[in-house]
Amino acid sequence: MDTSNLKHHYSQQFNSELEDIRSRVLGMGGLVERQLELAVVSLGDRENALAESVVYNDRDVNACDMDIDERCTMILALRQPTASDLRLVLAVIKTTADLERIGDEAKRVAKMVARASDLDRESNLFGKIVHLGEQVQHMLHRALDAFARMDVEAAIEVVGEDLNIDSEYESVLRQSMDYMMQDPSSIPVVMDTVWAARSLERIGDRCCNISEYVIYFVKGKDVRHASLEQIRNEFEG
Amino acid sequence: MNPKTGWVQEFWRIVVLILVAWAAGAVLDQVYLFVLLALLAYTLRNLYNLRRLAIWTADPQFAEIPVHFGLLGDIYSKISRVALRQAQKEKRLTALVNEYTASTSALPDAAVALDASGRIRWFNDAASRLLGLQPAKDVGQPFLNLFRNPEMADFIKRADYSDMLQTTAPGNSERKLEVRLAPYGNEQTLLLAQDITERLQHERMRKDFVANVSHELRTPLTVVSGFIENLQIDEELNTERLARPLDLMAQQTARMSRIVEDLLLLARLESDTNRNRHDEIDVAGLIRSAADEIHSLADDVPRIECEISSSRRLRGDEKQLRSVVTNLLVNAVNHTPADGAIQVIWRDQGPQSFLEVRDNGEGIAPEHIPRLTERFYRVDAGRSRDRGGTGLGLAIVKHILQHHDGRLEIRSRLGEGSQFVCRFSAARLLQ
Repeated sequence: MDTSNLKHHYSQQFNSELEDIRSRVLGMGGLVERQLELAVVSLGDRENALAESVVYNDRDVNACDMDIDERCTMILALRQPTASDLRLVLAVIKTTADLERIGDEAKRVAKMVARASDLDRESNLFGKIVHLGEQVQHMLHRALDAFARMDVEAAIEVVGEDLNIDSEYESVLRQSMDYMMQDPSSIPVVMDTVWAARSLERIGDRCCNISEYVIYFVKGKDVRHASLEQIRNEFEG
Repeated sequence: MNPKTGWVQEFWRIVVLILVAWAAGAVLDQVYLFVLLALLAYTLRNLYNLRRLAIWTADPQFAEIPVHFGLLGDIYSKISRVALRQAQKEKRLTALVNEYTASTSALPDAAVALDASGRIRWFNDAASRLLGLQPAKDVGQPFLNLFRNPEMADFIKRADYSDMLQTTAPGNSERKLEVRLAPYGNEQTLLLAQDITERLQHERMRKDFVANVSHELRTPLTVVSGFIENLQIDEELNTERLARPLDLMAQQTARMSRIVEDLLLLARLESDTNRNRHDEIDVAGLIRSAADEIHSLADDVPRIECEISSSRRLRGDEKQLRSVVTNLLVNAVNHTPADGAIQVIWRDQGPQSFLEVRDNGEGIAPEHIPRLTERFYRVDAGRSRDRGGTGLGLAIVKHILQHHDGRLEIRSRLGEGSQFVCRFSAARLLQ
């Protein structure tokens, strides 16, 4: 864990402010994890009431987002952080933005559940999307763990996991197309599930982003548009 | 060795040394030079011995004692004795610490020690297994950074040490945990988490079983009671001889179907914990209509007075609340003689409101009161069954009140009557 640099400021206040925004981001992460979990459960169990509560609770996530942004602005303005402190504040700002978007995607999935109550839950397609959702949930959890521990190796693993998510998404798409070709009347319903799958796949991408901010904070290197191979060569070789 | 002998030996050694030097000096007529040289040699030897001592004390346990004689020998033996004792003590302590760590890591429950600011100080093996903590990395990390459940943050902030939290393990929503906090030392907290996945599964199986059995009994019961009714109507069969058995059969099947209905209601109440409806309930109207209903059912019931001093409404499920009032009233009627009196009260006290049912009937002995809300618990088995109770009424009342953030309090004195008080919190009340 690379938090030693959080401890040697002369100003105790500054230390605790940096610690505080870090904890707040992770608290927001917990909220978003819960939202995603409930969205996936509501998808699996066809629970409209649950889905509606997810849609409603998104405002809590948004409130967190604004609160953390405000605090980061204050730190930037009052403390003018440099080096790793600056990287931490930047990583926090970006992670918050990504978490807020993940919250929005979870809301989108929940909205789909609340709207399309006549969805055929027995279909194979449905089980696949729920499975995709569980995988994404796991990935978000690991990305946030990597952020808490500032663990570069774990972050690289999360980036690697995105490949599985992408292939799972592709297979959902292929299957959806099959359904639509066989039975054109199912197109509206299948389109909804495709949008849900798309949202989940986007959450996977945002988890990658969060992991990349971890690498940025610890190593001071921006790896956002590098390939997985490049990242591995750089930090593991 | 006696410390005195060391000193004496050393003293005689110096005396002999000086005498020898004196004698040699007297022979060669250089007394002072020889004595000086002797003393110089003595000092040098002492310096050399001191250096050896310094080297030896760096690790006094295992090295041989280099000098056994004189003052130095004395010091050596003392130091080595202290070192030996120290080593034994260290060995004992290490064994103790090892045993302690082994026993805590053998604990099946996760234990995490947190400091005043919520950072992890220490945790056992089960904590890394159940909570996913990593032994080398996570000491010093704020616990909530890794255990991010929103309810967990509330729970730790509340620091209510008598409370427990049921939650899911981080990163594994299949695994259910029961978490408890205990304060210790200097503002530190011990967090204990137990894996209750299996226990919850058993509980669910039990509930499902009861619900399924009740459901399966419903259809045969309907058939049986239907035929009994037919038989009672049939004039050819309903002779003098069969009238009483048929009556009893009708009564008992009716009672059985009431029990089945109550069991099903309880199962429903248990299964949906927080998804009840949010009607605005006119409690005063509900009390009056329930009282009227009971009056209209039978003639020999005691008087029921409604005293309504609150105009508040309650947010909740109207059907369920009606069942609370009816159950409490039926209980009161069953345990109060026909010339007694029953009061139903709806009143405010500060932000809370109270729904009370009082009677001046036979009362309940104190040893029964805590167990009254258990299923099928009966104070006097024969009597309440005669009156057609199912034994589930108060259990249902308790569950419904839990759903409405309320509490049931029972006060009673043998021979003087009973009070059943439902307390509702401000969050559920509307002016």
